[in-house]
Amino acid sequence: MSDDPLAELSGVARTYGGVAVLEDVSVAVFPGVTAVIGPNGSGKSTLLGALAGAIEPTDGRARYVGPDAGRPIGYLPQRVPFREEFTARETLAFYAGVAGGDPDEALARVGLSDAADRRVGALSGGMRRLLGIAQATVGDPPLVVLDEPTSGLDPGMRERAFRTAADASGADTAVVVSSHDLDLVDEHADRVVVLDRGRVAAAGPRDRLCSDHGVDDVAGLYRAVVAGDAGGSGDAADAGSGDADRDEPSGVHVTGVSER
Amino acid sequence: MTDLGATGGSAETRRRVGAVATVFRRELATVLRTPGYGVLAVGLLALLGGTLAVGGGGDTGFVPAVVDLLLVTEVVVPLVAFVVGYRALLVDAESGELAVIRTYPVSVAGYVVGVVLARALAFLAIVVGPYALIGGVVWATAAPDTGIFATHSGVDSPLLYLRFLGLLVPFGAAYLAVATAVSAVASSRRGAVAIAVLALVAGVLGGDLAVLRSLASGADASAIPGLLASTPNGAFRGLVFETVVGVAFAPEGGFVAVRRAAVSLVAWTVGGVGVSTAALAYGARIDVLLEGVRARVAE
Repeated sequence: MSDDPLAELSGVARTYGGVAVLEDVSVAVFPGVTAVIGPNGSGKSTLLGALAGAIEPTDGRARYVGPDAGRPIGYLPQRVPFREEFTARETLAFYAGVAGGDPDEALARVGLSDAADRRVGALSGGMRRLLGIAQATVGDPPLVVLDEPTSGLDPGMRERAFRTAADASGADTAVVVSSHDLDLVDEHADRVVVLDRGRVAAAGPRDRLCSDHGVDDVAGLYRAVVAGDAGGSGDAADAGSGDADRDEPSGVHVTGVSER
Repeated sequence: MTDLGATGGSAETRRRVGAVATVFRRELATVLRTPGYGVLAVGLLALLGGTLAVGGGGDTGFVPAVVDLLLVTEVVVPLVAFVVGYRALLVDAESGELAVIRTYPVSVAGYVVGVVLARALAFLAIVVGPYALIGGVVWATAAPDTGIFATHSGVDSPLLYLRFLGLLVPFGAAYLAVATAVSAVASSRRGAVAIAVLALVAGVLGGDLAVLRSLASGADASAIPGLLASTPNGAFRGLVFETVVGVAFAPEGGFVAVRRAAVSLVAWTVGGVGVSTAALAYGARIDVLLEGVRARVAE
């Protein structure tokens, strides 16, 4: 696995209506799976949007520094946005028409071949997420950014969606995924970024972070790092995350920690 | 090296054109799956047929039909253009799909051009179809001398009606481009409707009112042809008088500055597409600038 970063956020900040959602975030993205975790309203969606170039930071800089590619960054927002009147194949055919690739192959990669001719509006929530993941990987971008691909799904579909997302990573490709599913993060993530109140509370290789905090898994890391009011400061950026972290335990609040 | 560069350049051009064509096909597929546009075309046909009937029917000839339809056209063509275009760019921006599309190798300008071309084709089908049918009715029912393909004054002719149809295209394109700009600037469907209504009223009535106001404030009457040419409605009306109605009845002309009117319609079209592109390309940065201003004011 390459040691060179594919993307960098340097001192990134973002406000909405004067309210800070991200503050002084500096993170580097390396090949493999990087999971961004944190309570609702901690700025996960904003961070991922900045990374994908969908959100302009009010301060700092987000840069793709990976290899040249026709499509450097693939992106799936939290709300899967496709036109409902198109079929799954038509949706991917549009994107493959722009970036290159085979829509049927992309559908097969996420196990949606049988649903190729179904309208997006008729797909289940899980299938739409899988279609979104397939879209994010069209054109083989070195960096794939997925905002809560498991949100609102049943346990089986969560596992499938997360595994599909993780499969998109490789020796020279990175997948950045935000999630509240700490077990899945523990199972699949190589690196973890913990956000709290718009700041990076902890970031680095999962094993090293767990070791540093004296915990066994990512759930323990979350408990150790995130403040006790987790889930109580929702914002528009994370609206719709559901109740996934309603039962998240309290812990010690640490701010200002950055990997870089 | 030069050959390789030229090959690379043409490959890049092909890729860009291919991306625009892909956006165009997607937008056209969306339009074709919108049954409301078919209803709009039928409604327009009924309106035009009713207007023609009230004006004396098709047997009066092509130029009288154009005169009858002109006022209605100045309202319904902009209206149809806004109906077709007011959400053209808002749909993807509102759903979040624009953020996804922008991660693909298609430029903002290419995306806007693809969408506008597809919407323009839809607009032409909705508008030109009913007008052509009305022309067919006139052809079938008008007096015998209207069948003469005349290019000189004093004779009614199908060619004059064809010119009228041809002028609908730049007139509609100008309004469609403005409607597209509205869809790029608006942040919600409700906002788009509000801005579109304002732009429609300003476009249909505003130009003429501005001309009247300038005359009332002492402007020379000789300036009217130039002033009229600056608005889409004035330019279209002037060109219809100069190249359709005037050919048959008033060889002196002088209704509008023809070249200026033609340039005006093109400028409105290009300007609308330009504003749309700029709004999508720089909207986020402007938002960040406003956030900065807000932060400084709050300090």
